[in-house]
Amino acid sequence: MSNLLSVENLTMKFGGLTAIDDLSFDAKNNQITSIIGPNGAGKTTVFNCLTGFYKPTNGQMFLHKEDSKISLRKYTDFKIAYVAKVARTFQNIRLFPAMSVLENLLVAQHNELMVASGYSLFGLLNLKTYRDKEQLAVDKAKYWLDIIGLTHRADDNAGDLPYGDQRKLEIVRAMCIKPRLLCLDEPAAGLNPKESAELNKLLKFIKTEKQTGILLIEHDMSVVMGISDHVVVLNYGKKIFEGTAEQTKNSKEVIEAYLGVDE
Amino acid sequence: MEKRDIIQSFKDSLFTGLIALALFGPIVGLRTVSKGEGLFITPQWGVVFLLVGLCILGRFLINLNSARKTEITFFSKFTSKFSAITEDKAKHFAITGILFAVVFPFLPFTDRYFMDVAIMILTYIMLGWGLNIVVGLAGLLDLGYVAFYAVGAYSYALIATTFGWSFWICLPLAGIFAAFFGILLGFPVLRLRGDYLAIVTLGFGEIIRIILINWYEVTNGPDGITGIPRPSFFGLPFKRSPDEGETSFHLFFNFEYSTMHRIIFLYYLILVLALITNYFTLKIRKLPVGRAWEALREDEIACKSLGVNPTNTKLTAFAIGAMFGGFAGSFFATRQAFISPESFTFIESAIIVAIVVLGGMGSQTGVVLASIFLIGITEMFRDLEQFRMIAFGGAMVLIMVFKPKGILANRKPTILMHGDKK
Repeated sequence: MSNLLSVENLTMKFGGLTAIDDLSFDAKNNQITSIIGPNGAGKTTVFNCLTGFYKPTNGQMFLHKEDSKISLRKYTDFKIAYVAKVARTFQNIRLFPAMSVLENLLVAQHNELMVASGYSLFGLLNLKTYRDKEQLAVDKAKYWLDIIGLTHRADDNAGDLPYGDQRKLEIVRAMCIKPRLLCLDEPAAGLNPKESAELNKLLKFIKTEKQTGILLIEHDMSVVMGISDHVVVLNYGKKIFEGTAEQTKNSKEVIEAYLGVDE
Repeated sequence: MEKRDIIQSFKDSLFTGLIALALFGPIVGLRTVSKGEGLFITPQWGVVFLLVGLCILGRFLINLNSARKTEITFFSKFTSKFSAITEDKAKHFAITGILFAVVFPFLPFTDRYFMDVAIMILTYIMLGWGLNIVVGLAGLLDLGYVAFYAVGAYSYALIATTFGWSFWICLPLAGIFAAFFGILLGFPVLRLRGDYLAIVTLGFGEIIRIILINWYEVTNGPDGITGIPRPSFFGLPFKRSPDEGETSFHLFFNFEYSTMHRIIFLYYLILVLALITNYFTLKIRKLPVGRAWEALREDEIACKSLGVNPTNTKLTAFAIGAMFGGFAGSFFATRQAFISPESFTFIESAIIVAIVVLGGMGSQTGVVLASIFLIGITEMFRDLEQFRMIAFGGAMVLIMVFKPKGILANRKPTILMHGDKK
């Protein structure tokens, strides 16, 4: 399987603190790559570097596209999602709570709809070309809502959904920008076992049916071990292990990092 | 709709008529006139019957409309909470409101004073609607909105007095100028949010006012600009004796000259401008850019993660909000024929923000109600002179106590997947 993302010698320093230290790893297309590690290991910092919220002190991040590759360092802010097509979700859910579920999914298709509405001109004139495009966007939203079983709540406020549904909605909202790489920051946090199982199903679906690689930060080992194709273990900003889920489970370094060393 | 419903609503409207009769009978019907020695009562039953008739008819129409969807009992109408107004009822409310606004100048009790107050309320409604784009939709608390009102008024005044162009040319120009200033303000405050943004915009409002006072060569300083051309009715001026080679409004239509003509024209002018603002806002809210504004208000970081450009989105909100402020400013200038920096103090900004917040952030109807309430109350207590601000404050406190989220805080989604479920 081809490489989707390569992180090379990534280093991020905040003053004297080195949050990520010379980290290199690859993520492949149509695979779920998990980043795990104890609290404060620098997992979310990796995400923030990848998605343009931080500018790394050093190192390169490349997104491979057929035979070319683009450097994610060049893109900051909203362009990561708009141009590089890297989507992300957040540790603490960031939906638009006072907007309806459907509207949340339409905002994710903002850039396409903006062009379709002729930067609002066609929209104001209520031209058919725009209305058709808008209908397509609604259909796409419905497609994803059907998958997570929330179609019947499409017109309710996103903030009124139960916690587990909000998590799923945030993931499909990110999918609405048609990402090549989807970065999920602890999607299973706060979910009960049944909801975790549903989440696993959703992520497997995205992995197999969509041309999207998934990068996953997670503490819930039932999720990590259940669906990861590849696991990267961080501790104090350094990569201490890399391998399949099975290998990770039995790795001495990983057990030491999590449980400490016998004196 | 069943026959029973019609009878029911007819009974209901008759009952309304009874209440109206009880109220209007003594208040309007019996007019006391002082003649020589003592007071005499002059009955005015004609006016009373007209008013009662209007009440019955209006009530009946409202009933007919709402009975179509839901079965209503007389009491449920009264007990139904104001904030529970559904889109359906809100629509009827809006149509009734617009109809009332259209016939208002020709109602029997409407005099010059009422018209002036109505024009003032409409100006504030328009400003409220304009600011609603910035504050209510995009969530950018702007305490210096009066700056754009001032820019609009001064651009109009300067262009009109210098070049002598007509109102309809100057109006869009003033709007464009104001929008330009909106972008000018927008750039430095892009990174600010909440309190910090409020402080900077407040400063911006003051900067504009101080520039207007001190840039004597252009703005004529504290003396203001006089002799701003009055608007004409498609080229027909409202003058008693028109200049050579001109036909004035009353001569053309063969009316007797009255100063009310101009007032009524101004009234309709601001009504149309305000309705355009409203229509535009309602439309653009349903477009991608409108949704992006609201998304930005909800969560800016999430917006960025979805590829929404926050810079462009904020700047369009500032520019469009400022443009409508500029339109309102031009109207103000042409109505007063005289403007000075004194009309554009911070209290104006505060009133407009109060209207938007008290009306319920983002609610178009709420702005109307809040304007009528706040401006109306301040006008009603005009006799109390400076103490009327107490009434203003009291009105605000009342709204905040009973409706902490604003008079109408319901937000309707801009697009529905399942249609109306009612």
